[in-house]
Amino acid sequence: MSNELADILGFVKAIPPFDLLPDTQLEMVVKEIDICYLRKQEDIPPNTLVTESLFILRKGALSYYSPSNELLGMFSESDICTLYCHPQTNINIRLCSNEDTLLYALSYPALQKTLQDFPDVIAFFEQSAEQRLHKKMTRVNEDAIISSSLMNTPITHFYHTPVASISHKSTIQQAAIKMTDQGYSCLIVLNNNSFIGIVTDKDIRRRCVAQGLPFNQPITDIITQHPITIDINSNAYDALMVMTSKHIHHLPVTNQGQLEGMVTVTDLMNYEGQNAVNLTSIIHKATTVSELAKISKMLPKLQIRMAKLGTTADHVGKSISAITMAFTIRLIEMAEKLLGPAPVPYAWLAAGSQARQEQLAHSDQDNALIISDEMKPEDSFWFFDLATFVSDGLAACGFIYCPGDIMATNQKWRQPQKVWHRYFDKWVNTPSSEALLNASVFFDLTTVYGDASLLENVRNSMLEKTKRSTLFIAHLSKNALKLRPPLGFFRDFVLKHDGENKSVLDLKHNGIAPIVDLARIYALAEGISATNTIERLKQVAGSRSLTKESAANLIDAYEFISMLRMQNQSTRMQNNKKPNNLLPPKALSKLEREHLKDAFKVIKTMQDVRQTSY
Amino acid sequence: MIFNNIFGYEAKRKRLLKRAPAGPLHDFLSVPFPDKKQLLIDTPILSVDFETTGLHAKNDKLLSVGFVDLFANTIPLKSSYHQIVRSKGRLKSDNVTIHQITDSQKDQGEPLRVAIEALLKALTGKVMLVHFARIEREFLQQACINLYGMAPVFPMIDTLMVAKKRLDNRDVAYDPSTLRLSALRQQYNLPEHHAHNALNDAIATAELLMAQVNAMASPNKVTLSDLLL
Repeated sequence: MSNELADILGFVKAIPPFDLLPDTQLEMVVKEIDICYLRKQEDIPPNTLVTESLFILRKGALSYYSPSNELLGMFSESDICTLYCHPQTNINIRLCSNEDTLLYALSYPALQKTLQDFPDVIAFFEQSAEQRLHKKMTRVNEDAIISSSLMNTPITHFYHTPVASISHKSTIQQAAIKMTDQGYSCLIVLNNNSFIGIVTDKDIRRRCVAQGLPFNQPITDIITQHPITIDINSNAYDALMVMTSKHIHHLPVTNQGQLEGMVTVTDLMNYEGQNAVNLTSIIHKATTVSELAKISKMLPKLQIRMAKLGTTADHVGKSISAITMAFTIRLIEMAEKLLGPAPVPYAWLAAGSQARQEQLAHSDQDNALIISDEMKPEDSFWFFDLATFVSDGLAACGFIYCPGDIMATNQKWRQPQKVWHRYFDKWVNTPSSEALLNASVFFDLTTVYGDASLLENVRNSMLEKTKRSTLFIAHLSKNALKLRPPLGFFRDFVLKHDGENKSVLDLKHNGIAPIVDLARIYALAEGISATNTIERLKQVAGSRSLTKESAANLIDAYEFISMLRMQNQSTRMQNNKKPNNLLPPKALSKLEREHLKDAFKVIKTMQDVRQTSY
Repeated sequence: MIFNNIFGYEAKRKRLLKRAPAGPLHDFLSVPFPDKKQLLIDTPILSVDFETTGLHAKNDKLLSVGFVDLFANTIPLKSSYHQIVRSKGRLKSDNVTIHQITDSQKDQGEPLRVAIEALLKALTGKVMLVHFARIEREFLQQACINLYGMAPVFPMIDTLMVAKKRLDNRDVAYDPSTLRLSALRQQYNLPEHHAHNALNDAIATAELLMAQVNAMASPNKVTLSDLLL
């Protein structure tokens, strides 16, 4: 029995969801396989297969087509085809072989019976793309919560080693001098390399100065002997609990009883808080552009760390966007200090991904200025200087100049409120191709600094118009639907709807942008002012434009693709490569490909709905 | 086989049936073989492979038997059978590396009779498919002589001969190693298989025949007589 069908067993075992089965169960499944051979250009199922069947491709290729003969997808080696599990629902779909094909056919009713104790496996074949994706994203989001907690952070991630130490023969003053010179609030006291105690700032204050003890007394008079320590195998949460319960701020770390390092409460706070909030406060304290530029170098690291921790792409996008905002605000404050106060009220606007709070490190700057109508012609110099200073400053911080020149330095995008009103009127009323191009950037606007009412005013009247302008929405829809997600994968290629193969997947243009576009259209059609894609989808859910279920499906698809994009970027940055949105399918696991295919299907469904509704 | 061609394996079967002792061999011979004019796609086939200790049926031993059905371009794995045969004597170590059957596995095997009975039962009314017919033909005949006192007749298709005929027709020199099972599978773009396990080889041979037939001019019109040895 041992390896009689080992070849086939091994092959099937590598394919999800069969990988979830124990070998004994898998052996039963394998025994039920019918190996079929199909010639090139043969229709499937072969007439010999009369029952509902699930196919596993062993070798060769299959394509399937809609009744209008539109290519819907392809299967290659190790792909599972479930089209004939319920043939009555796919009666109009034509499946045919592109090459001579070796196929493993399993009677689906028999398989369901064999696997009745493995509902997860059957569910994989039974669930729709939407259901599978939702299951996956629920798990990802749960994991993100768990993994972001201190419990999963080993102490080794943030302890200091080696530790600053001092000999037990030193005086209190010598210790104080060493602490001052080296900037430590705590020293380890050693007696011939063996650890005898700990002395902190507080000990000098309480046990020496307050008690009137001379500084030339030996340090041993004020040390804490045999302090509480923590084992190196503990996690951050353990350390926090010890420090909180014992009211201590320094915790020596030991490895098998030997002193190894030190954890301070500041380390813990820094680690937990090495996030947007923390970075933002450092940015606020910077006084020069070069200081800001230095801080900006931390941005990619932060993104990598967040991605590693399993933070959701949504959270990362919001954090990075918040930091970009902090940089911008600090630069504007610096400019105002340099140029004097603004002559009239104004607002600095961010457009595109930053406005949507979906920015990742290394993105370009998209910005604009909206100025009060009270502005006099001579005021324009001040605003030009402001725009130049801030834009150059952002460039110094790694946010490259916008290649499309959508920047406040461009006079076209540095205008009084009334001109902005006019712009939006024109875009909505006569949706030219230029207007539609601008729409994707300027319909996602947010105030970064200044008088927010300037933009709100423009936005409110714009939304009043878009809500009513079916023509505008139709044009926007038509334009957005030009970006179609791929059908799926074929071998190690991305399969496009024209049957063409591409060797890399563009996650941004083929996955993220179509959903961002759809969300914008729904928001504009419903007069919703939110700019963040997930927020837009949540707010339009249950409206005329989008059902609750569809919104949830799109959010799942969006989060999944964004997560892959973020992981891909982090991997590239870690390998010192420039981050991009291109992913070769080879880099994806079989399961990730399945989830991506599901995500594409969700997008396609919603695009098709959009197409028929305008 | 010339004998078969002149008189037909059906005639020989009927003659042998009269002499066959009651039991598995008699049962096997009592069912007619598929008609030669029958389309291959309608013909029940049993793909068979033996692992042996050598090439000589008289001196060498049968180590394992594997077989699987092939019918209408389909191989149902439900029909698959694999049995290690118990026999006396130690195995030579160079053999063990090929078929990977160890002495202890062999000692736990079933007696030859059990495997041959299972094979005869499965082969009843079918055509035997093998790669390189000599081994299976001679070892099965020898086993039957040992067990039942006589050798039966059975129609065979040999994927090696199918490939050889194709090459001979082209009238160009070829390297005989291209006729090996794994080499031929590669030619037909079939997946690599774990060779020298009797069942795996039987499945591999059945897949190869499907590929060979499907590469012919009109595969659905191929008859049994086009392929029989």
